[in-house]
Amino acid sequence: MPREKDTIGRFNSRYSLPVTDAALAVEREVIGANVGASGYTTVAQADALIPQLRLRPGTLLLDVGAGRGWPGLYLARKTGCDVVLADVPAPGLATALARADEAGLSGHAYPVRAAAQHLPFRSGTFDAVVHTDTL
Amino acid sequence: MLRACNSQLRPAGRIAFYTIFVPAGLSRADVRRAARAGPSAVTSRGRQHPDLLRSAGFTGVREVDVTEDFLRATRAWSEARSRYAGQLSEAEGEASFRERQRDYRLQARAIEAGILRRSLLVAERAG
Repeated sequence: MPREKDTIGRFNSRYSLPVTDAALAVEREVIGANVGASGYTTVAQADALIPQLRLRPGTLLLDVGAGRGWPGLYLARKTGCDVVLADVPAPGLATALARADEAGLSGHAYPVRAAAQHLPFRSGTFDAVVHTDTL
Repeated sequence: MLRACNSQLRPAGRIAFYTIFVPAGLSRADVRRAARAGPSAVTSRGRQHPDLLRSAGFTGVREVDVTEDFLRATRAWSEARSRYAGQLSEAEGEASFRERQRDYRLQARAIEAGILRRSLLVAERAG
C-alpha cells in the first residue's frame, strides 16, 4: 500500500506539471504526437492495438490506468468506439476530460476515478480492455 | 488485475496491453538491478504473462516482443529531454529533471543488457 501511495503521488505530481512548449516538442519526437503520453507507447503501437481489439463504432472500450487519456482517447477518435478511462490520479483524469472535449469526444469518453483492482462496473460490460504498462 | 479485467469483458471480449517486465531465469542480482532500473510503478518481476492470462480465464493468448521499440523510446526520451534541458529543468525542478534523466540512462542500460523487456499481450475472454 505505501508503494501504491508513492506511485499515485508521483503521477499526481507529474500530471500537475505545467505543459510547456519544450515538453510538447519532446513528446512529439518520442511518441509521434501530442496525446498526453509520458510512457513508451508510441502512436504506431497504439495503432497496432486497433485490429487486435477489433475496435469500431459502437464498441465499448475500457482503458485501465488511463492517465491523461492515452491511448484510450486516441483509439476512440480513430475508430469511433466509446471509451471509459479509469485511473486514480485526479489531475490526469481532469486533463483527460479536457482533452476529450477538445477532441469532440463528449458523449463518447467517460473518465472514472477507480483503481484497476476495484473497477465499479457490472461484469461483462465491455467489449475490449486496454492498458499500457500498468501491470 | 487480469482477473478483474476478465470479469469486465463480455464473452469473446478482447484484451490487449503493453507491459514492462523482468524476464524469468535471471540471477537475484540481475533481478534487483532490473527492478531498480525499470519504471518502479510498472515493472513486473519474473512474471509469465501468457500463463497469468490463461489462469485468469483468457484464451488465444499471443505475445509480441517490443523490446527494441522500448529501447528506442527510452533513448529518445533521454536525448530529446537533454536538448530542452533548460526549459524542462525550470518546469520540473532541477533535481527532478536530473533524476528522470538518470532513470532513463539506467533503464536503457538494463534493456541493452537483456534484463528488462517489454511485450504486447493479446487475448480473448473465453466465450
